[in-house]
Amino acid sequence: MTISPTADKAGWTLQRPTVEAGLALDEALLESICQGESWFGLVAWSPSDRALVMPRRHERVAGFPEARRILRDMGWPILFRATGGTPVPQSSAVVNVALALRCQVGSSAAHLEWGYRRLGEPWCEWLAELGVADADLGSVAGAYCDGRFNVRIAGRKLVGTAQRWRRVRGSRDMAMLAHGAMQVGDTPESLVDVVNAYQAAVDDPQRFEAASHISLRQALPDLDLDAALPKLLERLANA
Amino acid sequence: MSIVITVPDDLWEGDSEGVITAWLVNDGAEVAQGDLVAEVMVEKAQYEIEAPSTGVLSITKQEDEVVEKGETIASLES
Repeated sequence: MTISPTADKAGWTLQRPTVEAGLALDEALLESICQGESWFGLVAWSPSDRALVMPRRHERVAGFPEARRILRDMGWPILFRATGGTPVPQSSAVVNVALALRCQVGSSAAHLEWGYRRLGEPWCEWLAELGVADADLGSVAGAYCDGRFNVRIAGRKLVGTAQRWRRVRGSRDMAMLAHGAMQVGDTPESLVDVVNAYQAAVDDPQRFEAASHISLRQALPDLDLDAALPKLLERLANA
Repeated sequence: MSIVITVPDDLWEGDSEGVITAWLVNDGAEVAQGDLVAEVMVEKAQYEIEAPSTGVLSITKQEDEVVEKGETIASLES
């Protein structure tokens, strides 16, 4: 797999858009790869407002309109995202990092597991550099939007990951967007409660557990995130 | 002539199942080669599926149905 070193570092500063605008940043990043404008890109953003974000297919769930009203009245409007998974709260307590790459079909790079490791392993290395000894990738029982490739600290979910794949225009190559959402502040309860409120509103009996999640502030109370984040982006760019 | 539309068989390892999350074109509609026709989700990844040729779409797997890699989800009649 070839990656051009011409990534635009101007996009590597942490942006503070609305959730809706942040999701649009992700989409624009993927589209830039699809249009053949670049081979690699990164974007980092933390919302200036808040929303509960989920794939659009959830709109078909019975009770969704009422759940949307309930969550809106709680101050958590529902928005849709282009990547897979299940509902995830977005707020200023979350930092999102999206990585987009052009992949050649038939290469070992062109599959999902590779994409998750391409995003998650540098993230674990960054945490180790910051002094976190037990960061790894894996699933977390009781966590919302669980998957096999969360970034975990001591078995608790710090970063949720998801992907979107699209064909590059006029080419057999594929564009991959891998997205990580890291809880950096607030307590896990504050976000888990929002997802559980949605679960109750759509009459889904599954509930999630705050003990399955961890925030970066809990793991590293004295961390200067603004100073540390560029090193994560450098690792993701140079992996 | 009938051309089938399948879930990619080399996108992920193992035997995880996917689900059709959206048909972007109605059953019976005419599509052109390269048009986006469907989205499949597996392992929290959304994958867009294109029409491999021009033709009239005949959907065999509906939204929210579970699919395996390599499985036929529709055909195109030209």
